[in-house]
Amino acid sequence: MRGKAAQARWGGGVWRRGGRMSSVPGLQVDCEELLGAFQEADTVRFERFAELWRERRFHTIFYGRIRALERNKLTKKTLEVAQQYFLPPYAFQIRVGALYLLYGLYSTQLCQPKQKIRIALKDWPEIHKFQQDLINSQHYDAAYIFRALRLARAFHFTAMPKLLNYRTKKKIQENEFKEEFKEPSNRVNSLITNDVLEELMNIHDHYQKMKCVISADKSQPDKALSLIKDDFVATLKDITLEHQEWQQNRMKLFLNAKETDEMLNKKEQGNLLESEGSERANALARIKYKSYSAVVEASKSRRHRQVKLESSESGSNYGKSPSRSKKASRRPQLARKRDSLGIKGEMQVAKETVTQHIGMPVITEENSDEEEVSLPKRKRRC
Amino acid sequence: MAAAAAAEAEAAGAAPDYEAAELYTRAFRVGALGRCWMQHLGPPDLSLAAEAAADEDAAIVAELGCEVEMVPELQEVCSIDMLMSSDKEEDPDVIPEDNSLLTLRIRKEALERREETIIVDRACRQETLAYEMESHASGKRPDSPTDLVEEGELLLTLNIFYPVIFQKHKDYKPYQTVLVLGSQKLTELRDSISCVSDFQIGGEFSCQPDQAPEHVSKDLYKSAFFYFEGIFYNDKRYPECRDLSRTVIEWSESHDRGYVNLQSDDMEDYTFNDLSLKIGFPYLFCHQGDCEHIIIITDIRLIHYDDCLDRNLYPLLIKKHWLCTRKCFVCKMYTARWVTNNDSLAPEDPCFFCDVCFQMLHYDLEGNKLGEFLAYPYVDPGIFN
Ligand SMILES: [Zn+2]
Ligand SMILES: [Zn+2]
Repeated sequence: MRGKAAQARWGGGVWRRGGRMSSVPGLQVDCEELLGAFQEADTVRFERFAELWRERRFHTIFYGRIRALERNKLTKKTLEVAQQYFLPPYAFQIRVGALYLLYGLYSTQLCQPKQKIRIALKDWPEIHKFQQDLINSQHYDAAYIFRALRLARAFHFTAMPKLLNYRTKKKIQENEFKEEFKEPSNRVNSLITNDVLEELMNIHDHYQKMKCVISADKSQPDKALSLIKDDFVATLKDITLEHQEWQQNRMKLFLNAKETDEMLNKKEQGNLLESEGSERANALARIKYKSYSAVVEASKSRRHRQVKLESSESGSNYGKSPSRSKKASRRPQLARKRDSLGIKGEMQVAKETVTQHIGMPVITEENSDEEEVSLPKRKRRC
Repeated sequence: MAAAAAAEAEAAGAAPDYEAAELYTRAFRVGALGRCWMQHLGPPDLSLAAEAAADEDAAIVAELGCEVEMVPELQEVCSIDMLMSSDKEEDPDVIPEDNSLLTLRIRKEALERREETIIVDRACRQETLAYEMESHASGKRPDSPTDLVEEGELLLTLNIFYPVIFQKHKDYKPYQTVLVLGSQKLTELRDSISCVSDFQIGGEFSCQPDQAPEHVSKDLYKSAFFYFEGIFYNDKRYPECRDLSRTVIEWSESHDRGYVNLQSDDMEDYTFNDLSLKIGFPYLFCHQGDCEHIIIITDIRLIHYDDCLDRNLYPLLIKKHWLCTRKCFVCKMYTARWVTNNDSLAPEDPCFFCDVCFQMLHYDLEGNKLGEFLAYPYVDPGIFN
């Protein structure tokens, strides 16, 4: 491992230009392109992810003559970039993709010993739940890979996601989350749940009965009292489903997706909404639907074989990756900013006159370092 | 007060979170973090044993709830080989020509430009040393099993800044980075902090340069304190130690400075696990009466298999600022040992000299002082390089 230090000849500040503060230039674009392709593939199967990874030869992301110290930093930052997609608000499928991405990056990195993936205590419940969801919905490949990472001791279990240096914020790094990767927030669905619909139904029934009671014909309300459509609950439900469908289609368009049979499937998804109770169950159902949609219904025990089938089908696409180059060029190039990396002047010795005999000489000096950290100015008070 | 709040947070099972986003956290009890993680994680996550737990099919079946026949298939499908398109031999030093990754195109360009403007860089040697320092202890194991770091131990990363007195007017400060264990006492960190001012020799000696005392400040002034979250932790191990913090507390109380309830305690009675801390927040170490070091805890995490597991090597220095060595003004060769002020013989003020040049310039053969000047023994910060 020491030998590596001697081998690696370059590094030291080369990577410091461009992009976000702590980023590796271009990396975010590459990761999002890969995850985007995974999203378009509309699956959570590792086999498909691995294909997409191989097409891009993603393991070469660590290549180049880089000195050991720089390589460590670079790898840390690479894992950090990939890790952000592993947590909410990103959609389940993207998070699975991020898990695979982390697995790939962790395993193919060139550091010795390997750089670790940081998990903060506050993020753990979310990650634990994610693992449970993987198991419950029988995504064995994803669950297996998460487990494999844990066994490989790939994680640092930390207090906070990043190291905190009390750096003065140059600019508060807004967490721009990639919209397309997010779980579409569906306020309508969360407002109009099945419970609400049921309650509305009851109220409506009650209302009808009350109207009957005060009407001349006790079996039917008077015309004058007909202020609301009889089937309004059913209508409301249809509108809700329609809205959900519309929103998802819009998302698809946004993603340039071309699947036309999606429309049909969406109906099924809508039906799931009816059968499940709470909002959380709805969310899970959507997730499950999404991940299964590429797989034709199969018996529980055969599911993994079915998966194989699916990916060998998609294997015919291998190497083409049609939308890829277009996508990459569509994204703006990262702004490049050159950091001056020079060592600022040596020590400066300021002239000062000594007015009296004191125990210590008068020396002022200045130092600079490539990794400067600003501290709050000391307040002088007396 | 802060401790009480932290205890509450622990009871609620709350994880540390930001007080100021991306900047520093709320105060929390360090030891509680370790206990929380221990609750959440199982033996395989925490294990420091050499052999990773054998991955048995039965375990996979039990944890994932899949059928036994699936296991070999899972292992194959999820193998890391699935990610390697290894038809040809590759040199990781060479960025492939036909790559489609933006990261590589940018890197390639940057490397090529760098290659054009080759400068034999000093940085290269320094970086190798820095890497050596960062990684030299990683994975180390103690000779005696009793010195082995325990599972679930916390590892704190501290940035200790060089004294503020050197750079009153600068926004940027050099620092050294030290790793300490949660179960270590504050005094263990205190003893590991090396600072130039500990080696300073006080006094002006132009009339009797031979008399410069042998005792350095470290031996003369043993008092020191840490300041964390409203509490001064004083080093009271030696009878000659003074409560340096008392002055500050009295001053604060008498002037009503808005710091209520400043307390003081003994440094040797506390481990880091006992403290309430904010990660990312600047604290203080003060010694030699007025040599102040800002301390920032930048990270706390569970110890890991790849870490140094020899207790004796902590606190472990993993990074330090490369201090320039000040050379003698005359010979430009040796490290300075003397510094003068108001020196009629020197072109600069202050001016630095090695022992030999200082003597030759400022004294005649009989040792009589020539000209007017003030002379002080000088300890170069570079001695720590
Ligand atoms: Zn000091
Ligand atoms: Zn000299």
